Amino acid sequence: MTVKLFEPIASSRPSQSLFPLRDNEPDYALLKDPQSAERNRYGNPIALIDLVDEASSLNINGVSEKGFNPNRNKQHAFHFTADNCIGCHACESACSEKNDLPPHLSFRSVGYVEGGTYPNFVRMNISMACNHCDDPVCLKGCPTRAYTKHPEYGAVIQDPDICFGCGYCTWVCPYNAPQLDPVAGQVEKCNMCVDRLEVGLKPACVSACLGNALNFGVVENTPERREQIDTRIPGFPDPEITKPNIRFQQTRNMPRELTRTDSAPIKYRRDDAAGHYRPAVDKKSGSARFWNLPRLSSRENPLVLFTLAAQAAIGLFAMLFIGSMTGNDVVSSIGVSVVYPAAVALCLGLVAFGLFMSTVHLGKPIRFYRGFNNLRHSPVAREGAGVAGFMAFAGLHMVAVLGQQAWLQDYLPALAQFNGSLAAAAAASGVLAIASSAIGLYYMYRCYRIKARPFWDNRQTAFSFVGCSLYLGGLALAAVGSVALLLEGASIAPLLSLCGVLMGTGLALEGLGLYLHARDMDAANNEGTVSHYVQCTTFGKTYLLRNALLVLCAAGLLLAPLYVAATAGVAFWLVLALAAVVVAVIGRALFYVLVVPTTMPGAFFWKNKGFEQHARDIGLAAMPQVGVVPDLH
Amino acid sequence: MLFGRRKKNPIILRDKGVVDWKYATCGYCSTGCAMEVGLDKDGKAVTTRGVADAPVNRGKLCIKGITEAGILDAAGRGTEPLLRGHTYDPWQTVSWDAALDKTAAEFQRIQEKYGRDSVAVVSTGQILTEEFYTLGKLVRGIIGTNNYDGNTTLCMASAVSGYKRSFGSDGPPGCYDDFSHTDCLLAFGSNLPEQHPVIYWRLKEALEERKFPIIVVDPRVTMFAQFADIHLPITPGTDLVLLNSLCHVILKEGLADEDFIAAHTNGREAFAALVDEYNPGMAAKITGIDEDTIRHVARLYASAGAAMSIWTMGINQSTHGSDGVCAINNLNLITGNIGKPGGTSLSITGQCNAMGTREWSSCSGLPGYRALENPAHREEIGQFWGVDPEFFPKQRGRFMTDIFPAIETGEIKALWLVATNPMTSMPNTGRIRKILEKLEFCVVQDAYQDVEATQYAHAYFPASVWAEKDGCFTNTERRVNRVTPVTAPLANSKPDLWIFNQLAKRWEQGARMNFPESASDVFEEMKLLSVGTGANGAPRMLDISGMNHALIEQQRGIQWPMRAGDETGAARLYSDGVFQFPDGRAKLLALPWTDNNEKPDTDFPFWLNSGRVVEHFHTRTRTGKVGNCNKFSPTAYMEMNPDAAREIGVEHMQYVRLVSRRGDAIVLAQLTQRVPRNMVFVPFHFHDCVNRVSLGLLDPHSRQPAFKQAAVRIEQVDQAEAARLNREMRAY
Repeated sequence: MTVKLFEPIASSRPSQSLFPLRDNEPDYALLKDPQSAERNRYGNPIALIDLVDEASSLNINGVSEKGFNPNRNKQHAFHFTADNCIGCHACESACSEKNDLPPHLSFRSVGYVEGGTYPNFVRMNISMACNHCDDPVCLKGCPTRAYTKHPEYGAVIQDPDICFGCGYCTWVCPYNAPQLDPVAGQVEKCNMCVDRLEVGLKPACVSACLGNALNFGVVENTPERREQIDTRIPGFPDPEITKPNIRFQQTRNMPRELTRTDSAPIKYRRDDAAGHYRPAVDKKSGSARFWNLPRLSSRENPLVLFTLAAQAAIGLFAMLFIGSMTGNDVVSSIGVSVVYPAAVALCLGLVAFGLFMSTVHLGKPIRFYRGFNNLRHSPVAREGAGVAGFMAFAGLHMVAVLGQQAWLQDYLPALAQFNGSLAAAAAASGVLAIASSAIGLYYMYRCYRIKARPFWDNRQTAFSFVGCSLYLGGLALAAVGSVALLLEGASIAPLLSLCGVLMGTGLALEGLGLYLHARDMDAANNEGTVSHYVQCTTFGKTYLLRNALLVLCAAGLLLAPLYVAATAGVAFWLVLALAAVVVAVIGRALFYVLVVPTTMPGAFFWKNKGFEQHARDIGLAAMPQVGVVPDLH
Repeated sequence: MLFGRRKKNPIILRDKGVVDWKYATCGYCSTGCAMEVGLDKDGKAVTTRGVADAPVNRGKLCIKGITEAGILDAAGRGTEPLLRGHTYDPWQTVSWDAALDKTAAEFQRIQEKYGRDSVAVVSTGQILTEEFYTLGKLVRGIIGTNNYDGNTTLCMASAVSGYKRSFGSDGPPGCYDDFSHTDCLLAFGSNLPEQHPVIYWRLKEALEERKFPIIVVDPRVTMFAQFADIHLPITPGTDLVLLNSLCHVILKEGLADEDFIAAHTNGREAFAALVDEYNPGMAAKITGIDEDTIRHVARLYASAGAAMSIWTMGINQSTHGSDGVCAINNLNLITGNIGKPGGTSLSITGQCNAMGTREWSSCSGLPGYRALENPAHREEIGQFWGVDPEFFPKQRGRFMTDIFPAIETGEIKALWLVATNPMTSMPNTGRIRKILEKLEFCVVQDAYQDVEATQYAHAYFPASVWAEKDGCFTNTERRVNRVTPVTAPLANSKPDLWIFNQLAKRWEQGARMNFPESASDVFEEMKLLSVGTGANGAPRMLDISGMNHALIEQQRGIQWPMRAGDETGAARLYSDGVFQFPDGRAKLLALPWTDNNEKPDTDFPFWLNSGRVVEHFHTRTRTGKVGNCNKFSPTAYMEMNPDAAREIGVEHMQYVRLVSRRGDAIVLAQLTQRVPRNMVFVPFHFHDCVNRVSLGLLDPHSRQPAFKQAAVRIEQVDQAEAARLNREMRAY
């Protein structure tokens, strides 16, 4: 594809609305792509729309004028010559000035990897912002549809006014491009400086670069004085995840092993066969095991509670409804008892509590209703829809079964004539609630199958979620069932036997998942391996405790039928059941705190999680110019 | 539409709402980047951008320049003049008249009681040239103390001294355009990408147009060392040996430009005899650079068509700083690399107006590179100012680094600090603390009230900063550039020029002299002093008579000399081969090396090296408050070799205690192979940090401290206690 190379200055029109062009913009700031390919290396067309017929205004800050860039219909990309970056922060600060960012936020960050031995030492700086991917996982993940991939420049732009601050995009992005601002309670990110592109200027960061490392243009074009347009450099995540629009030049020889100065226990090793570097565990904290129990508490605490409560409710409802339908003696006796509507209410209460917690987790809880905007792509939206559907149908179910209760019909005899309809309604809503809860649970699991988070991207997530539904649901069933049986004066031994077996099965399922997961992570040689290393060291003792408890509870509860007839057996069962709750809480907290994303390497202070935590611990974070947000939870 | 969107979201881009841009020159380092400061509709300075057609920076700025608007309303700015009787009394807000009256009265009282030189003035490289000139007039012509110097003694004094000794005058002979003409660049102790990123960019641009070899001499593997074709990881403090040895090889192998030597230099014989002792084998043992490499580099440099040397603090901050500069000049003189495109000795200066203070402040003499030792100069300036020439001292007084010891011995009783912060920047600050306590009267004039030296002050003058003022800076390549008053001075702060003028009126002599109020009138006065005949009979070199404020802004900076009638300035000095000594010849100097550094030993096994990082400037009074600078290194740290750390059980991101014979400091350890096993590197920006332990032996010629050569040991500390201390030390 060829376009007539334009003269931005000469093309500029008297306009109050577009980005103001000086009449002497320096040459290095001008976009120059007279030629471009038809398709990129992934086979996708570079021209995203027809320039003349389809292109419209980008509608930047309410301006309806269209820019005069002749390549505005084409996918653009950053080009980074890693050999040249001097780590001077000019790109980052130019970006922060242009976008008026507070110190704790940055759309672009520079970190580094280094290796070798003095004086044969190499440090390679990496400047990274958004890669405006062909497959924008942020856009697909966002439940609110705050993201748009614009056919103009292929820019992936996020609208903070739509965002409700769940931070899911920050989980799925392998490059740490979306920035969750805990102060404003929203995400913001690189906008490609589309206002500058519209008038033919390169983005602010590129124009500011002092090492001649950053460049920008139509994707797959090789910039002037450059020879490579590679998709990999050491420290950069696998481009297959999102098909990012960034290209690299890195021709200098690098040491076989490169380390990170930040606290992430990751290094990179050259894989000669593959021809690039792969992540490996860097045992920065040795192999000693610690408890670190306070560190189990994290920003994701509400999600620990949400997932556990929702899974308990889903499990309880399924056991109650399916047990009654299939004519299980124990469950049926609960089904006909006065406790049954209360048991369904408990499900509703648990889900409501969970949803409340997950809403609290949002940066802008008042916008919770936007969570269903992106059913087309987002597992978060579908999870929300499933759980909400479960709540609605379980609610209907509760009303229907309540209407059939004898004590209510004594009070309102007219109800009796609707018994048939109520029973049908209860059955229908029960089936729908089960279906919704299955959808909710499935997408709850899909939410964590994130390629950029290998620790989660494993079947163990499913084993854990289903297992928890079984053993937390079983515990809840035992609780409500005991009340029902005690009211009837019946023995609770059969109930505890049944629930013990259910819970033991759930725990065994989770245990099996954990075993397979540990095996997978050890073999994976990626950030998941790193997470598992942290699990075995930083949280080593906690991990062992949880595993030991899990085995004990699973075995003990599976054997419940042997001992629950005795009073002491009931007490033992109770202890095991409570221990199972501990297993669930520790396990889920570990799940969240351990995940190591495929993010870019940080620097010694900036983007170093270890320093950020230290600055919070000692109070340095109270000074805004330190660029670390103080603890908010 | 992509991904199923029928309607795309409108795009909201935040911006700073700039409605007007005003011209300035960056107020941090001496690169001299021309910038425009953006004002919003309320007239508040909100951002900056590089001036696109500026000859220095061509639209680029570094991180400090990009974020510079933030310094104007940064925390800690002084808003009102303050006085107090004792340093333990609380400050009283007073009027400017009261503060100035009290200061003048105290200076007069102390001078009457202890003599004229009992008052000392230590200024800076940060204020405007017109202000320097006026301060010089006030100090030399009215106050009359000979204890007057600038903090440039901490950074560029060795370069000044070396230029004077080699060429007969201060004044860097080269320019940034030399990068586009050179065939070989040799950098000594200069981490250009970090300290002067925009100059580095100019070099990178030149390299991308035309590749030429880069040789970097630095004990650390900086980014510059890493990008160099040849990196010489030298033993600290031994540059002079390396340079003598390079010259040895060049003379021995007949690679010298003997025609240039014969035509333009004196002293070849003694010089050749001296360097004859420095054969590469002997030099290798001292410098740690093997002899083959020394020969290789010497041949490369001497054989290049045009070769240039640049250097910064690695040379200047040394016990042989001045000699090191002379040795670089020797190297370039014997290879004929002075005054020609791509062939030069170019010191990369530190502060935005270090050059201005060297040229016009009268610190080391009289304005316009005039000397107190020269009776004709005393006569000329005395007449011009209306001062009895006999009032001037007959020779230069104490340097900054000798002023503090003179306070220690009781010879100096009053100190006036102008825009400098010796509490953080002087070596061995423990000693400086004790010294400042002895003062009868101390005035701190600074834009920032929280500058640590105010702890010892009796009077504080809140100065306006940078683009609140009007005047000029001179950069590394002698380019005079404009700062315009972009915004009004904050609160009741006043431009330094106004403060000097008002203070001058407090003396009878001052009332008789002319102190122009506007910077442009001061500039016109300086122009009159810049014309005349130099020591070599040729027109004066530092001639700015062709410039004026409007023309400077129009050309985005003009290099001196620019004589009346010239269209623009001159890119290089000494292009005609005529130097500033009376006979017009440069001097080849015989420079013997003596080994007088404090070196690592069993008690203190590590070299202590210090330096700058890109996001900070000097003592962080500005960058420490601008979040988008400070966040990249918000607290003190130390680079240490991981192999050395393993031996003594130091871990990455752990606090350690640095101990020297002077004191101790707490830093976070960053383990990196960037530094050798027997060296640690600590950025000098942080208060109560590296300069608690540094030694700073003085160079005999320039009196510049050797910040970069001292010995320390590293001790384990209680981590919680160290963290608490670190937090307490970071007021900003």
